[in-house]
Amino acid sequence: AVMTENIRINNPNVKYTDTHIEAQYCYHTSAVRRDGDTLTVTPSVSELEFRTERRVPRLGVMLVGWGGNNGTTVTAAVLANRLGLTWRTKTGEQKANYYGSLFQSSTVCLGPGPDGKEVNIPFRDLLPMVHPNDIVFDGWDISSMDLGSAMERAEVLDWSLQEKLRPHMSCLRPRASIYIPEFIAANQVGRADNILKGTMAEQVEQIRADIQDFRHSSGVEKVIVLWTANTERFCDLTAGVNDTAKNLLAAIQSGGEVSPSTLFAVASILEGCAYINGSPQNTFVPGAIELAVERNVFIAGDDFKSGQTKIKSVLVDFLISAGIKPTSIVSYNHLGNNDGMNLSAPQQFRSKEISKSNVVDDMVNSNPILYRKGEKPDHCVVIKYVPYVGDSKRAMDEYTSEIMMGGTNTIAMHNTCEDSLLASPIILDLVLLTELCQRVCVRPQGSETFQSFHSVLAILSFMCKAPLVPPGAPLVNAYFRQRACIENIMRACLGLPPQNHMHLEHKLQRGFLQSTIHSENPTLQCPQINPSFPV
Amino acid sequence: MTENIRINNPNVKYTDTHIEAQYCYHTTAVRRDGDTLTVTPSVSELEFRTERHVPRLGVMLVGWGGNNGTTVTAAVLANRLGLTWRTKTGEQKANYYGSLFQSSTVCLGEGPDGKEVNIPFRDLLPMMHPNDIVFDGWDISSMDLGSAMERAEVLDWSLQEKLRPHMSHLRPRASIYIPEFIAANQAGRADNVLKGTMAEQVEQIRADIQDFRHSSGVDKVIVLWTANTERFCDLTAGVNDTAKNLLAAIQSGGEVSPSTLFAVASILEGCAYINGSPQNTFVPGAIELAVERNVFIAGDDFKSGQTKIKSVLVDFLISAGIKPTSIVSYNHLGNNDGMNLSAPQQFRSKEISKSNVVDDMVNSNPILYHNGEKPDHCVVIKYVPYVGDSKRAMDEYTSEIMMGGTNTIAMHNTCEDSLLASPIILDLVLLTELCQRVCVRPQGSETFQSFHSVLAILSFMCKAPLVPPGAPLVNAYFRQRACIENIMRACLGLPPQNHMHLESYVSYLSGFGAVAGQYGFSAPSKDFLLGSGLETG
Repeated sequence: AVMTENIRINNPNVKYTDTHIEAQYCYHTSAVRRDGDTLTVTPSVSELEFRTERRVPRLGVMLVGWGGNNGTTVTAAVLANRLGLTWRTKTGEQKANYYGSLFQSSTVCLGPGPDGKEVNIPFRDLLPMVHPNDIVFDGWDISSMDLGSAMERAEVLDWSLQEKLRPHMSCLRPRASIYIPEFIAANQVGRADNILKGTMAEQVEQIRADIQDFRHSSGVEKVIVLWTANTERFCDLTAGVNDTAKNLLAAIQSGGEVSPSTLFAVASILEGCAYINGSPQNTFVPGAIELAVERNVFIAGDDFKSGQTKIKSVLVDFLISAGIKPTSIVSYNHLGNNDGMNLSAPQQFRSKEISKSNVVDDMVNSNPILYRKGEKPDHCVVIKYVPYVGDSKRAMDEYTSEIMMGGTNTIAMHNTCEDSLLASPIILDLVLLTELCQRVCVRPQGSETFQSFHSVLAILSFMCKAPLVPPGAPLVNAYFRQRACIENIMRACLGLPPQNHMHLEHKLQRGFLQSTIHSENPTLQCPQINPSFPV
Repeated sequence: MTENIRINNPNVKYTDTHIEAQYCYHTTAVRRDGDTLTVTPSVSELEFRTERHVPRLGVMLVGWGGNNGTTVTAAVLANRLGLTWRTKTGEQKANYYGSLFQSSTVCLGEGPDGKEVNIPFRDLLPMMHPNDIVFDGWDISSMDLGSAMERAEVLDWSLQEKLRPHMSHLRPRASIYIPEFIAANQAGRADNVLKGTMAEQVEQIRADIQDFRHSSGVDKVIVLWTANTERFCDLTAGVNDTAKNLLAAIQSGGEVSPSTLFAVASILEGCAYINGSPQNTFVPGAIELAVERNVFIAGDDFKSGQTKIKSVLVDFLISAGIKPTSIVSYNHLGNNDGMNLSAPQQFRSKEISKSNVVDDMVNSNPILYHNGEKPDHCVVIKYVPYVGDSKRAMDEYTSEIMMGGTNTIAMHNTCEDSLLASPIILDLVLLTELCQRVCVRPQGSETFQSFHSVLAILSFMCKAPLVPPGAPLVNAYFRQRACIENIMRACLGLPPQNHMHLESYVSYLSGFGAVAGQYGFSAPSKDFLLGSGLETG
């Protein structure tokens, strides 16, 4: 049932070797300078070479919080898809699928076919990517419950599916995890029956040993570690403790203030494994970022963008891009899963509140017509723990906007999202894109050496509520811009220019494609602009 | 704020009269051989030429005395006069919120501090300012615009008081009224209607356009229908299938709707014609006439409220791999549009216009939808006088998520109908006027050509976009917006927005371009933490 497309680029600037796809690419940027009331825009072109490894490795994913709702749901979903399971529901037979996954279930347009109709392909087929069915899972949890029972505890998947999955899930047991009670809500203590002992340094060593053990015993070639465990309180940033890689490693030796999520990040980085933070806390203290950069390991985060915030990053972008001024955004949430119980503690809620609060900033700042400097819409976020609703989270949002001549537009939205069913495909997208990025490198034409993406893997912003980006890099929350970023970078790996959505060939009086020069060498024809970039 | 943009690039020339830009337009062709798709990219070298002189623009509205007509006229007057007025929460200034060109921004690139520079959309190219538009128009109701503004119940009373002296002397010209095309409940308003044969009425509309042009001194006139929704017109061979037959039908008094009569009169006068209502004004004969005469036409139906959000939300869901399975839209409104739509035939036009808005997004995703599969889609519109112009839209989107899960979004949207539609009316005429000053030629070709008569770039503002034959129909909001932005950028020789931020995401590339005389890259930055960001130093 899975359609897979085999893409070939017919262009002398794109070479397929046995091991790589090598593409010449013209990357366009503009520099803007203001002189009085005039803005001077200087376009420039950089000739780049993208090189993508074609061979897809055997991928292992280790989840911190494997026994939680997300951990069990994503593991179950991959098993069910791999086994091609179907199950009865009261409305009919249901098949396993990956709906909600950018790569598995959304498409990109490649161009028109011979009939003039647009050809859309699965996003994952643009470049060689790991198929989620092939992921091998492992992980840690402070609760010792096996994954079959944990799936039942989660109350997410249909019962008839659980019955089919239980034999496959029950043999999976999370490894003992790091538990420092002060970082998560006190109400989590009842689950904590599977925890590491010893000094902080010894616990980090055990996590490293676990990664090595998993790698060797499962035969995977690459391991990515992802935190989908409890939201922690924010960690104080303290000079001498977590401000540099060296100090952070020393603090771990001496047992200083280091959160469990940072300990997992450090262990992963030291093992050369990419580490992704799916919760809102500040795992990536400056010392952790420095360590990742030093070791050339990818890190990404923070906090899965799955429900309310995802829609907010669509709606607010829409309103502001239409010249409408959101003046008040109020978001009420209630949920009844363990995430909700943990967030009912003030310090953990505070982490979530911070993560959710900045999502409209980039859009607000982009429009100085609607917002004067420093002006922002009112923005209020409430999260309540209501056990009955379980994993079926409710988000109620009110967006009030100013329209023309003092008018008002009010949008009230009630969104029922099954939390873990939305987050699980995002977990898959995060690890699959990270794995792909590990096989892509770039060099300016004429340069000797290739380089990979910055250790802070900002291209994953699309899946994150509070994207971590390299210092000085623009922070983009707007959904469609984030999606265009991924699509256009993957197209660049094939030497294909950015999507332009112009359809010019259909918009003029007469066609022009027949009459124009079809370049033999399209991507090398960078326009010879800007011969003298200002110094 | 107004920005004066200069492109520093030898491929962009500023003459006294024109901006001339060389542009590489990229396309790809896709061919399927067995299970392999072969993608062949190609580049067309084009030259864009944009006239710099902005003319004096006149806009004639059909339905000038309606809620949209009075609101857009009042808004332009209030902005031109710089009016402020008191409301219970403070002083309010006239503005153009909700206008793509006046109130939204586009990113030009990075400034010397590494921050993105965003400018008003209208400043990308020389465009008319809406304050300079001269309005005129027709209405089947003779009410002056001051009284019609009061009847509309849209604008704050204290603003109406300030505007009335400027509005009261504006009187709509007599309009074409063929009762069978609009709801019977409109008869009470129809006290300002043309007499005579159909052909004579078309001649009178043409004479009105000429009269307006001469008496107001405008250089250019655009005609826009913001009047009642008509019932659909039967497409009949020999009547409206060709330009010739349509003109003959007008002479003989056949089945031609008032909106098509206005379109024909405008086209014959060389004036662009925009249809802001859902009916099929543009019968094949009308389209042929526009193509023959090289006149722009665009439509249909302003995309202002519920449908606009739908074209955002459904695009979002499908582009995220989530499968909308049921979309139910309830509307109630109490203005004259609502009263007219309470008649079944007029509602049917609206229902058709609103129903196809998700098709392009559904068809783009064969993973979620098998061939021919569509979500359930139901649209209800009710007339509830009390809510007046403050339309309510209640939508339920049910989607299938992973493993048979369900996501349900229920939305209640209170939109002041005419305050959302008015800035869109402005955007439609301003973009049409700009397109009349843009032409393109393939490099090496002798002659420039203009846009196709069916001005598909206006799709962004339309619920049911009219596109040239064979052209893709795009409803997805952000793709439509990217289309306008990238075509305007092309007029400046600027490539499409790519949103890639490679210079920040690949540390090695930091500082690229900083070497004079070549596309140089600085030495690889070992210090990633300090080295990111474009250095223009």
